[in-house]
Amino acid sequence: MTEPRSLGGVQPKFETKGLKAGFRSTWVLNGIDLKIPPNKVTAVMGPSGCGKTTFVRCLNRLHELTPGAVVEGEALLDGEDIYDRRVDPVAVRRRIGMVFQKPNPFPTMSIYHNVVAGLTLNGERDKKKLDHAVEHSLRGAYLWDEVKDKLTNSGASLSGGQQQRLCIARALAVEPEVLLMDEPCSALDPTATAKIEELLTQLKRDYTIIIVTHNLQQASRVSDYTAFFYLGKLVEFDETTTLFENPREELTERYITGKFG
Amino acid sequence: MPRLMDMGLDQLNSLLLDMATLSQQAVSASIDAYSRGSKGTEVRQMSNRLHALHRQVSDLSVEMIARYQPVASDLRFLKACMEISYGFFRYGRYALDITSVLEMFGDLGNCDKKFVVDTAKKTQEMIRLSLEAFAKRDLEMARNIPKMDDVVDESYRKNLRSTIQGKGGDIKCALSATLILRYLERIADHASYIAESVEYIATGIEPKLD
Amino acid sequence: MTSISQTGRRQEWRRILDRIMKVLVILAVVIAVIPLVLVVWDVVSQGLPAITLNFFTHNPPSPCSTGQIASGSSYCWGGILNGIEGSFLMVGMATLIAVPVGVGAGIYFSEWPESRLSFLSSFTNDVLAEFPTITIGLFIFVLIVETTRTFSAVAGATSLAIIMLPIVARTTEESLKLVPTTLREASMALGIPRWKTIFRIVISTGRSGLATGILLAIARAAGETAPLVVTAGYLNFPPTGLFQPTASIPYIIYNFGTGGDYANWTTTAWGAALALVVFMLILNLSVKLFIGRRFAGVRAEI
Repeated sequence: MTEPRSLGGVQPKFETKGLKAGFRSTWVLNGIDLKIPPNKVTAVMGPSGCGKTTFVRCLNRLHELTPGAVVEGEALLDGEDIYDRRVDPVAVRRRIGMVFQKPNPFPTMSIYHNVVAGLTLNGERDKKKLDHAVEHSLRGAYLWDEVKDKLTNSGASLSGGQQQRLCIARALAVEPEVLLMDEPCSALDPTATAKIEELLTQLKRDYTIIIVTHNLQQASRVSDYTAFFYLGKLVEFDETTTLFENPREELTERYITGKFG
Repeated sequence: MPRLMDMGLDQLNSLLLDMATLSQQAVSASIDAYSRGSKGTEVRQMSNRLHALHRQVSDLSVEMIARYQPVASDLRFLKACMEISYGFFRYGRYALDITSVLEMFGDLGNCDKKFVVDTAKKTQEMIRLSLEAFAKRDLEMARNIPKMDDVVDESYRKNLRSTIQGKGGDIKCALSATLILRYLERIADHASYIAESVEYIATGIEPKLD
Repeated sequence: MTSISQTGRRQEWRRILDRIMKVLVILAVVIAVIPLVLVVWDVVSQGLPAITLNFFTHNPPSPCSTGQIASGSSYCWGGILNGIEGSFLMVGMATLIAVPVGVGAGIYFSEWPESRLSFLSSFTNDVLAEFPTITIGLFIFVLIVETTRTFSAVAGATSLAIIMLPIVARTTEESLKLVPTTLREASMALGIPRWKTIFRIVISTGRSGLATGILLAIARAAGETAPLVVTAGYLNFPPTGLFQPTASIPYIIYNFGTGGDYANWTTTAWGAALALVVFMLILNLSVKLFIGRRFAGVRAEI
């Protein structure tokens, strides 16, 4: 797998070496070697069942929580393998935030408590710190102005797009370094989607973002780098503009021009 | 299974092929008119038709980009379509320009037309090759065309130099020959551009600027 | 192609059939409701005369003949104080045992469904829920009553706890299973450890179902009679000790309702029955009102 030219010499934020994952006897990912650049948006795309969601769930050690899940290989965050036996998965997950396909704010908590759930449930009690975290994260998610007067309302009282931004704020409050997003806009209408896409282009200044998407246009709009997965293998990884204008692999060309199937 | 945009792509392709043959005919008609001394009145109509077709191709390409958000080879094809159709439109336009020379200068029966006609033959060969390279997406063929451009360029410059040195003979003949050679040189340039576009569709690489 | 008018006869027949079905279904509802209405009517009409303030502050009376009752002697009037205190004690103790164990088991069934222990225990739990309660009573009779040589509140409470346990465990399991997995994942992804995820997120989200289950288990235990007959026995006074025979409201109904043809005893029994029914009603209504309204948002989310 040749590297995109622009990445030469840059220390990757995340690097997987021979990452394999699956359930019981079936492998869903068959050895992925991928270098994710820091402070960029990397899109992971491919047809259904290609392993893109599984891949991303391996990066924050969420995959292993499913009964019967197996993982092999290495995933290096800033050079350190998160699957090393001595590493605490909970500590790993605090450095990596995740936003899911369907917005999932905690239904029994207010907006305020939703945002700082990652802090309060890990022992933070300082009201000043929490207040600051709430405002900072909600601002970071472009949601502050819309909810600043109703922070005590239930998290579930917001619209779909707002809920998703709430989930983003919640992930940001823990101050992660990496943000994983699993098709974050697929349950949202175009306006809400556009807001979140705008948000991503701002967020990448402070975070490394990996977004799984099956929407080619979204990948081409939002990402700097794109990785194309097929049947559990990484087919091509390159700068988005290059991959979408002149892909190296024929498989990639066929997929993005819709000549699959 | 055909995709939504395949129908549009096919339509574009056939439009371009139509423009290809029409532009070829226009240039041939204008050269014929020159060598035979006739007026070449049919060329005007061909040129207008080519202009209309170019507009059509342009509109259709833009519509397809907006509607289907194509990528990779499809996107390159659409970009190239617009450039190539412009090239065919220019063939027709220069053919018209050649016949307008004939109109302006009137009777050129006494002129030595051999040099111009020879150059025209080379140009027409370039046109033919460019059409075929496009129709068959033949990279080999496309890559040979720019070399031929140099030959036509040289012809034009040679004639210009000798005219400046006063060896052109009758002013009417010399001037008409220079003008027509100029148009032939431009046609050859466009044939090169078309060849470059063909290469771009296939490889996504645009040749270096000189 | 048949014209609209030609289908007229078929349409008529269909309409008649629809109406017949509707009538039959309504009839079924009426038949189902009748026994309930009759029972409630009986309980209310027969029990209401017994309800006075004294009813809740005095112990049951001795048997009186009609003549003695007519004379208005206070000797013939009484209440169910011993039953109220006894039931409270035993149901209370049973709840204290059954709820932590039941909720704990329910959490295990829900959060670790893939383990074999989970599967086997869950299955056993379902069997225990359907067990005839007299058998449970008999089991405790042998285990505790015979060894301590006395009927006791402890024995009664233990048997009630065993009856309550599977209900609590099962409703806990089902309520927690209703909590979407994505909430657990969101919590874990924030770096919240698993046990905190379970207690602070999952249980919190499923708390309405949990509370409902507990209240329903309490209602069930409050009405159980047969096991108490063979474990707690009866005492005409409020509880005197944990290892002494203890009264309960259902026992009073049983004992005073069938223990002889004394009018004042019968009235006492009906009064106890009414008290019990009202207690159940209040419990069930509060489940619906309190839980339903307060957590309406939660229900809508799930």
